[in-house]
Amino acid sequence: MPNLPIEDRFKISPFLVFYMITSMQIGIGVLGYQRLIAQYANEDAWISVLIAGSLIHIIVWMMYKIMETVDGDLVTAHIYVAGNFIGKLLSTFFVFYFFTYSLTILRSYLEVIQVWMFPTMSIFWFTLAYLLLCIYIIYGGFRTVVGIAFFGIVLPAYLFLIFGFNLKFANFEHLLPILDNSFKDILLGSYHMSLTFIGFEIVLFFYPFIKNPQKSKKWAHLAILTTTLLYTGLMMLTLSFFSEEQLRKSIWATLTMWKIVQMPFVERFEYIGIATWSLVILPNFCISLWVASRLLKRIFNLQQKKGVFLISITNLIVINFIDTREQVGLINDYTGKAGFIFTFLYIPLLLVMVLIVKKVKKK
Amino acid sequence: MKKLFFIPIFLMLFTTGCVPKSIIDDINIEAASAFDELEDDTFIGTVLIQEYLPDQSTENKTFTATANLRRDLLLNIQRQSSEPLHLGGLMVTIFGDKLADRGIIDFVDNYQRDPSIGARNFLATSSGSALQILKGEYGPRGNSDYLNNLIEHNMRYRDLPETNLHIFIRDYYTKGKDPYLPELRQINNKEVEISGLSLFKKDREVHVLPTEKMFFFKLLADRHSNGSFKVDLGIDKEAEIKSIASKRKIKLSKKYPSQVVIHIKIKGVIPEYTGDKITPQIVKEVEKALEKEVNKECLSLVKQFQEQGIDPIGFGFYHRKQIRGYDFKKWEEDYKRLTFKIKTDVNIVETGVVE
Repeated sequence: MPNLPIEDRFKISPFLVFYMITSMQIGIGVLGYQRLIAQYANEDAWISVLIAGSLIHIIVWMMYKIMETVDGDLVTAHIYVAGNFIGKLLSTFFVFYFFTYSLTILRSYLEVIQVWMFPTMSIFWFTLAYLLLCIYIIYGGFRTVVGIAFFGIVLPAYLFLIFGFNLKFANFEHLLPILDNSFKDILLGSYHMSLTFIGFEIVLFFYPFIKNPQKSKKWAHLAILTTTLLYTGLMMLTLSFFSEEQLRKSIWATLTMWKIVQMPFVERFEYIGIATWSLVILPNFCISLWVASRLLKRIFNLQQKKGVFLISITNLIVINFIDTREQVGLINDYTGKAGFIFTFLYIPLLLVMVLIVKKVKKK
Repeated sequence: MKKLFFIPIFLMLFTTGCVPKSIIDDINIEAASAFDELEDDTFIGTVLIQEYLPDQSTENKTFTATANLRRDLLLNIQRQSSEPLHLGGLMVTIFGDKLADRGIIDFVDNYQRDPSIGARNFLATSSGSALQILKGEYGPRGNSDYLNNLIEHNMRYRDLPETNLHIFIRDYYTKGKDPYLPELRQINNKEVEISGLSLFKKDREVHVLPTEKMFFFKLLADRHSNGSFKVDLGIDKEAEIKSIASKRKIKLSKKYPSQVVIHIKIKGVIPEYTGDKITPQIVKEVEKALEKEVNKECLSLVKQFQEQGIDPIGFGFYHRKQIRGYDFKKWEEDYKRLTFKIKTDVNIVETGVVE
């Protein structure tokens, strides 16, 4: 059962990998990552973002190397390296990883709604409605999930035009002097980009679903390049829009930037922005639910439909226990750290293991 | 599967009641507010709401309350209001003279924290009572619209340097720059005017710049500005110059780091001239005269700021940004020793439709 080849009609074109990765990366982090980075790297924060982005290109290369060598997803790689039992045990951790990921995204988004729009909104009912929507999407199959990823990027793309309003108030002299902070601080800033950048690791899980995986490589790299440039640009704009200390106080700098927007037909643009953002996090949430349930299927042979249901219900219960700003901050922090460990430490380690095992098996 | 599809739709329809509604006819939208200090630690505040009448005019309504804490002010005002007060429509906030002398950051900081308040709100100070300004009657569009437009068009086309809530907070938190706000004065119950520019040291008002100097201040403070100014060319000859575009650059001189060079470029037109005829020679004369005037006035302004120890132009900021590894702790000392050089280029491009 574990290594059944995927039928062609379930597979996706290589270029869709671009939308999968960008839509998974752009999520809740982008609303407020600026403060965390600027805390360490000050006016050089945009360099931190660039560095983090370029390092991710190497990680993506490693991911593809792993998958090509074992010709399968992460579970296959684990079984290849550590055998059936331990391999599956290792993979179980990633069910938790993606469960936490989905929880973090939804709870952080709910916090934004509660703080910016409706303080009394019920977490439970919103989550229930959102989960039903996601279950419905995932029941449509992997290709539907990819479709949502596509729309999750294309439809809200107009939001980036809105930053034109901020250009008028931007003073780019805030970026000077360049490279005035120590290299260590800049790297610390890069480290804190983890939460905003993670999401690209999903390629490890849907690799068997890609038609012509060789061709998808360039799209994966293009996706990373796009998000890196986007984040860098936004970082530069944020730094020149706020003064240092003001930025340090803004938990959601991106949303605060929308407060300056003034249009004849809408007084407060944040309301439109935040509502649109539910479309941005929809693929985030769906993909992580899909990956978690897919893993359950691969490891425990649990039917994916049941797996989705199980994870959704757990989500619905656990989300009620995260109440305050501190707790939301904490879970964001943990997810960011877990993402860092997974992508920057575990993947290189796994690659080395896979290559060693390959050599041994040849003999 | 089809049945499942309807569940989210039903939920979305029926869970809308989970959030309290704010129906526009059943709330009072705060349109402007004014704060002042009564005596030690007692604040007085006025909130202006506008009721839109069926004949398309507006009625100004004010509520006034006193309190010891700023937070209590709003609570006390809520008690007078027949409908719940919402802050979302706030356009102008005026701080009284006494309060501005004492510091206003507590009030402003709270605006920043509240997500329903936009960053483009105008803040202003008043000479005299801030509360009285809101209690006047300034035309059919309502007081808050009137005050808002008064400040906005003066900022966009005239001598008032650009400020709003965002810029005030940004300048306040910038190391090496002090904020400024327009000052309003009520002439009588039906008229109000911009009477100057309040300059702050951190969040305390220390000086009010008279209106004649605002043109020069705007040249110094805004990267791009426009405004108009009158030049005297001797007996019976006066020209008004309207600057249509100006740029200013602040550089620290490379040779002497304690010298600041301010380069101002003005492109202008002459809409008004009292004299016989505008010849190219007179245009030259006007250009020269304005250059001289700008150099002189701007220099006296920056010197005055230096003496007062305030920095509304942001020389400290430029020091921090243009000198690598500048130790900002030295700034207060360095500022006292700073010298200034102002270079102005005036270019008059048009002189109106008659010769």
